[in-house]
Formats: sequence, C-alpha cells, structure tokens
Amino acid sequence: MFSYFDVLSVQILFSSFILMANKRIKSYIKTFRIQSLLIALTAGAMGFSLEKGRIDLLVVCLLIIVLKVILIPNMLEKTYASVEYIVEKDFILNIPILVILSCALVVFSYFSVSTIEGINSGIINAQIVNSMSVILIGLFFMISRKKAIGQIVGFLVVENGLYVTALFSTHGLPFIVDLGVFIDVLTAVVIMGFMVFNISEKFDSIDIEKLNKLRG
Amino acid sequence: MQYAAYVLIQLLVIIMLAPLLDGIIRKIKAFSQKRTGIPLLQVYYDLLKLLRKTSVVSEESTWVYKIAPYIVFSTSIAAALLVPVTTKIMPGTLPGDIILLISILGLGRFFTMLAALDTASMFGGMGSSREAMVSILIEPSVLVSLFMVGLISKSTSLPQIMQAMKGIGAPLTYPVFVMIFLAFLIIIIAESSRIPVDDPSTHLELTMVHEAMMLEYSGRHLAIMELGAMIKQLVLITLLVNILIPHDQLIAVTGIGALVVSIFIYVAKVITVTIIIAIAEVCTVKLRFFSIPNLATLSFILLFLGFLQYFILGGSNV
Repeated sequence: MFSYFDVLSVQILFSSFILMANKRIKSYIKTFRIQSLLIALTAGAMGFSLEKGRIDLLVVCLLIIVLKVILIPNMLEKTYASVEYIVEKDFILNIPILVILSCALVVFSYFSVSTIEGINSGIINAQIVNSMSVILIGLFFMISRKKAIGQIVGFLVVENGLYVTALFSTHGLPFIVDLGVFIDVLTAVVIMGFMVFNISEKFDSIDIEKLNKLRG
Repeated sequence: MQYAAYVLIQLLVIIMLAPLLDGIIRKIKAFSQKRTGIPLLQVYYDLLKLLRKTSVVSEESTWVYKIAPYIVFSTSIAAALLVPVTTKIMPGTLPGDIILLISILGLGRFFTMLAALDTASMFGGMGSSREAMVSILIEPSVLVSLFMVGLISKSTSLPQIMQAMKGIGAPLTYPVFVMIFLAFLIIIIAESSRIPVDDPSTHLELTMVHEAMMLEYSGRHLAIMELGAMIKQLVLITLLVNILIPHDQLIAVTGIGALVVSIFIYVAKVITVTIIIAIAEVCTVKLRFFSIPNLATLSFILLFLGFLQYFILGGSNV
C-alpha cells in the first residue's frame, strides 16, 4: 500500500544524484525544481492517502509548489542573470567520482540510521534512509561546488532533505511548523541572493575561492 | 510442427517490426521540428532498394570485411530467438540464457568493430575505438540490471524470469523495478546509438560513432548491417517490456487467438517505449564524448539505488 511512497522517496534521492552530476548552474536550478515538485507530490499524496485525510498537508503541497517550484528558482535565475558568469569548471573532483562518493554517503546513512532504535518497521526505514541521504548529499554538494549559487542550491537541497525526513517520519508536521520553515527558507534565499550580488560586485566573480584572499 | 510455426512467427514479427521503430522515431523527430518528415515506411523501401544493389568491396580489405555483415545479422537473429517475444515458447532452450544473450550481442559488436578496422580508413578506426569505449562503459549496467532481475526471480533463464515477474503483479509499482526500467532506457539509448550518446542521422562528422563504422559499406552489405543494428535495438526493447511489463498471454499460451492478442499487446508495448525513447531524443542534445561516462555512471547509480532498496533496506518485500 505504501509502495508509491517508496517510489517517490527513491525518486527524490535519485534527483539529488542528478544534481550532483550536473555541470551548469541552470541545470542545478532545473533539477532543484524537479526535486521540489516530487516533494510536493509526496506531501499531496500523503494528505490524500492517510486515514484522517489531512487538509493541511494539501495546503503545504500548494505552498511547496508556489515557493520552491516557482518562486525561489525564479529568484535564483534572476540572481544568476544579474551576475556576470563565465562557463568554467565548477567542481573540485570529476563527476563520476563525486557521484560514487555520494553512493558511499547513502551506505553511511544506512548504517547510521539502522543503529537508531524505535524505527524497526521496514517500510519507514527505507524512506528515512533515503531522505537522510538527501541531506548528506546536499551538504556534499555544497562542499564540492566552488560557485556561490551552487552553494545556495546545496543549502536548499539540505532543507528539502530535512523536510522530507520530517514528512516520512511523522507523516505530516504541525502546520505552524511548516509555515515557519518555509518563511525561514524564503528569507535565507533572499539574503543569500543579495550576498551573491555583492560578492560579484566586489570581486568580479562569484567564485568563493577568491574570498580566501581577504586573509592578507 | 507447432513449435516450428511459433519460431517462424516470432522471427517474422521481429524482422518486420524492427525497421518500423526507426520510422516512428524519425517521424516524431520531424514532427517536433515542424516538418512532415519521410513516410513511416520509408525505412523499409530504403532497405529493399539497398538489398537489390551490388556492394562495392575495397581491394585492400580481407575476408573479415565480407563476412562481418552476415555475422552481425545472424547474431542479432540468434539474440532475438533467445528472447520470448509473444509466447512462452523459446527455441533455444539452453541454461544461462542471460549470459549467452549478452555474449552473442557482444560478438556482433566485436565483428562490427573488426570490419571497421579492416579497411584501414581513418573514420573506421575512430568509430571502432569510440564504440569500444561506449560498450565498455555500458556493459556493467547491462549485466547488473539483468542479474538483478535474475536474483529477484531466482533464475537466469528468461522465460522463468518473465514467469516470476508476472507472479509479482505490476512490477513497475516497486522502487527497484522503476530504477531498473530507467537504467535500461539509458542502456537502450547507448546501445542503439541514439542521440545523447551518438547521432544516428549524421554523415561525415567527427562526432559519429556507429555511422563511422558503417561508412565503407554499400549495397547489400549495408542493408544487412543496418537491419542487424535495428533488430538488436528491438531485442533490447523487447527485453525491457517483456520483463518489466509482462502481459498474461506471454506466460500461458493457448492456441492461435491468444497468440494474435499477444502479438498486438507486444507491439503496443514496444511502440510505447519507442515513443519514450524518441521524446528523450527530441529533448536532449548530443553529449560531448567525454561526458558519456557521466551518463553511464547515472545508469549504474540507478541500479545501485534499486539494489539498495530491494536487497539491503528491504523496503517493500516483493
């Protein structure tokens, strides 16, 4: 009965692998859109399928679509268009190695989750491992990218992973918590977009390696 | 007698259907570019015309060049006979079918590469070296995907695998099979030299892979080579649809009526997958050659995640 949640959680995990294999900033943003759409689908499906029929989860689904599928990616694209950007190698290792290291992260999160007591049920276990791996892969994505916009996308993926973990482990957070989280994310993206703009004005580039020169 | 009739029907279905898929893909591509495109059956006419022409053979070439088209064609046919297309009846009842299937396809590819090297033309050498690289990159995914299905159904024989898959019900509702489906789509695209990996519609470009190996062939030899490649593509699509989307008539065959129904369902499934491949071809551009490892990694990762979901996490025990 819950197997479509399994399929969705695996798809979310795989979308973060695709993000890891991307090369261009435009495709980071596109992949983030797809991942958020999958999360919205998960929330919506959960709202419909749970016994009580939670209406607030449907509202959350709409909110995710408005915020994370439309608003935040558009904002990122606007930031990207306003900074001057030269296409060059953006990542520290080559892509197959990054993807294989992300595989190792999935295995790691499996071992770390399996030691937690209390979630012995097999179904919940697989979903939680997948969404924990999304968090770790998001962090790894932030490390592996040099450009500032890539790091914003990494932050957003971490946030996505946290949200999905909460969704799968509790089957729907209280509505007020959801709202708080969304407003936090929106504020963070606005501030970070502004900072990217400032970095690009000061250093003529959004490569964060150049910030090291401030040490003097 | 009945047995031989089934074999013949299966063979006929495969040979007649294979060029149609190319026609469909070209039609969809033309439609996406707002062209009318060539007629759907043009591929058949081209093949027939090529078959009637004599082939020009270079004086410098050896017997490998002349024998290669026949080997490519016969390996494709042998592979087609190993895969149950419409009924449970499988002509070559040998153990270890999956491994045999992969190695037969590998033999065909090996002779294509040899023949391209044989004429010592520059394009042929480049084409075969690239083909070798692509096949090395994609072979692990083919093996792992088929073995994973084999592990789940506890058999390497294709009819038994299909039986087990039918027992599961609708395999595509489970994460592991969704992952195998997506990975196999990438495999089909790479093996039949479709667009993200290789552009089938280019001639005399530095980026071509499969066309570069065919460049020296003409007339009858070319027709046989191309038909062999199309049949190979159809065999892979057949594997995908018959393993992951099994239908009832595939397993229990009772008489002519079921056979006809089975053929119709089979053709419908194959055309659906072809349309998916065509859409993927329309939506993507050809990758830089050194980005192909990334694509191969993605297909391998899909399989890895599927394996993890099924065997280690045991999310939904089938």
